[in-house]
Amino acid sequence: MLRPLFASRSGTISAVVLVVVAVLAAVGPWLAPHDPLLQDPRAILAGPSAGHWLGTDNVGRDVLSRLLAGSTLSLVAALEAVAVGLVLGVVPALLSVRLGRVFEWFSLRLMEAFVTLPFLVFAVAMTALLGNGLQQAMLAVGILISPGFYRVTRAAALPVATAQYVEAAVLAGASPWTVLHRHVWPKVVPAVAVATASLLGASLVIVSSLTFLGIGITPPTPTWGGMLATDLQYLFQRPFGPFVPAALIVATVWACNGIADALRDAPGRPAPRKVTAHVG
Amino acid sequence: MSAEVLLTVRDLSVHTGDTPLVTGVDLTVARGATLGVVGESGSGKSLTCRSLLGILPPGLRNGDDTTITFDGTDLRALDARGWLGIRGTRIGAVFQDPASYLNPSITVGRQLAEVLRVRVGLGRRAARDRAVELLADMGLHEPARVYRQYPFELSGGMLQRVLIAVAICAEPDLLIADEATTALDVTVQAEVLDLLSDLQERTGLALILVSHDLAVVAQVCEEVVVMRDGVVVERGTAGDVLTAPAHAYTRSLVDAHARYGIERFRPAVTVHG
Amino acid sequence: MADPLLAVSGLVVRLGRGGERRTILHGVDLTVAPGESVGLIGETGSGKTTLARTVLGLHRVEQGGIDVAGTDVTALRGARLRAFRRSGAVQYVFQDPLRSLDPDLTLGESVGEALHVRGTPDLDDRVAGAFALVGLDPALATRLPAEVSGGQRQRAAIARAMIARPRLLICDEPVSALDAATRVQVLDLLASLCADRGIGLLYISHDLGSVAGITDRLAVLHHGDVVETGTTEQVVTAPSHPYTRLLIGSAPTIGGGGMGRAERAELRAQLAHSPNGKVLT
Repeated sequence: MLRPLFASRSGTISAVVLVVVAVLAAVGPWLAPHDPLLQDPRAILAGPSAGHWLGTDNVGRDVLSRLLAGSTLSLVAALEAVAVGLVLGVVPALLSVRLGRVFEWFSLRLMEAFVTLPFLVFAVAMTALLGNGLQQAMLAVGILISPGFYRVTRAAALPVATAQYVEAAVLAGASPWTVLHRHVWPKVVPAVAVATASLLGASLVIVSSLTFLGIGITPPTPTWGGMLATDLQYLFQRPFGPFVPAALIVATVWACNGIADALRDAPGRPAPRKVTAHVG
Repeated sequence: MSAEVLLTVRDLSVHTGDTPLVTGVDLTVARGATLGVVGESGSGKSLTCRSLLGILPPGLRNGDDTTITFDGTDLRALDARGWLGIRGTRIGAVFQDPASYLNPSITVGRQLAEVLRVRVGLGRRAARDRAVELLADMGLHEPARVYRQYPFELSGGMLQRVLIAVAICAEPDLLIADEATTALDVTVQAEVLDLLSDLQERTGLALILVSHDLAVVAQVCEEVVVMRDGVVVERGTAGDVLTAPAHAYTRSLVDAHARYGIERFRPAVTVHG
Repeated sequence: MADPLLAVSGLVVRLGRGGERRTILHGVDLTVAPGESVGLIGETGSGKTTLARTVLGLHRVEQGGIDVAGTDVTALRGARLRAFRRSGAVQYVFQDPLRSLDPDLTLGESVGEALHVRGTPDLDDRVAGAFALVGLDPALATRLPAEVSGGQRQRAAIARAMIARPRLLICDEPVSALDAATRVQVLDLLASLCADRGIGLLYISHDLGSVAGITDRLAVLHHGDVVETGTTEQVVTAPSHPYTRLLIGSAPTIGGGGMGRAERAELRAQLAHSPNGKVLT
């Protein structure tokens, strides 16, 4: 499964970057030299020094510690959103090709409705409805990215569902479940893997932009997006400030996209199938 | 029938890199004659045809010793411009899947008329009239209506008739039909084969009929060439090849018909005549 | 013929939805006895594949009955239909094994599918047995369909049908995707398998060239109607319906003997004047 990643150089680099980010997320909070919430009124917006390698922010918190501590939450949030999107997109997509027209029609309309939702308004509405918090915000993000999973999965599953070998399996007495996991699922996995990698990158950006707006994760909890937001406010006092969190976000998103590309272009895989328009 | 030679192929070979796919094929077709080429997919029969049309797939080339002479012209020496005067005008061709040779969004009549304007140099009005006339000649009922129809509205047999009209509209001297009836129903195949024989009688066209089906070839052709794995394994008059096949492969083809075909119930046409 | 294996009577099938709904089969009767080989011939649009698929329970029956080995399959739905399929009584061999075998499963996995879904214990042994039965090297069980020849693939597809120990085998153009040399071998295999085991064979084809030698009886389907039935010899040598005469007369044969062009044109004209090819002879 992972071998095609290393067939290309960009795939290998992306994988290495992602592993480093993952390690950061796993052990970051323990590596932090200072308490990420500890304010030092004597050193506000300080430049890099021996005590604070990346300086301090507007209330005197150590930037390096906040980045390290924030990495966990930023990534976990993105993963959570992708997991929600996977479940809400892939499952109905697989069912839509096997469960008959009524389900197909409703799932298609629902996904079309999701696509039309204005992103920020929906996220704000969700957090207003369910209370502001990470879980609620990620549920909103998951719902918003689920049509991506739905479309990719359905496009890969549709030609398989009508394939002759599936009919042969049905004639052998295979249950819909057997058909799904024996014939349909293996054809869908590569497409879903590509979608997961690229949507993981996308949801990291979304998480960051939401925290930037104060939705989901609220201060003083550190996240990359949240830090970017405050750093931008103090751009004149600390011009290099936004650079580090922005670079981390960009590197992670880039690595996710790199992995998506590597999986898609891997030798021996069938070319990504064209998405067929299907009106129920 | 005069024995004036129209096409001479000597030592035709096709290579990909250093691997030969077809070797040592010799063919001679007289003006107005029919030649049948029998073989399965991969026997080299289609590559041989494509060599005659100068349309080998990318990466394939003819060997240096190959000579193809068509009505005094050395086809191997032609450049792209030179081919324009031969392919489609003096040598026509029809292939297996007619739908893939037509633009699905333009009526078949307009596509035929377009060829007439480019190849024959007819004016707009004249091309239209000639196209309807040709469609009628192909045995299509209500040719004016067919003219206005799109490819998807026509059956496979009708599409193949349209393509035959396209192939012969410039009155070529040679028509190559490569598995042209393979995708058609038996009754439709018989009609299309009739049409080809008719055309030959009327216009003195020479025909190379390529098929995997020995019986189809036997029905239409005087001369038969059997190809296998890129070489000619047997050649002769249709009667000789069918009644006294010399090569084991040809024998197996004749045998298959005798055992599983309707020949089984026609002892009058036994293999050993 | 006390108990036919397959008895289709007055079968009417309509396909499509809404205004597109068309009658594909207009009251078809057909029987296949145990050990008998029946050819169903017809051209594009005659409804021959629809008939096969209806027998397999893939299309809804509008009217009429289908009885397979004593079971009325028109009444089967859902779990009961699945149970009937798992019994293996009817097996189907598709035209093109490249499409009917899952490209990502090994030949062994595909051949063993019917046993896999039933949960049969000695799966590997029986797969090996099925391979041997159709003349395939059991070592090929680990290969993917794309890694073997066309003839080997179709043998694997036949093994998949045989492993279920069918009583009725339906083959839809099983050799038309194969090269001429391989065709005879696959036809020989089908003929001997059915003869040895008393399996009823319904052989569907548009190509008389492969039907005549493997069938005892023929049924000629034309626009959804069986226009003629009889022993193969009868139908081939003395066809009575104009369509059958046209079909036989159009078939290219070695050594000629085909019908003259004028006669065919006349038959065609005769057929054109009767809707649904219902010609009074």
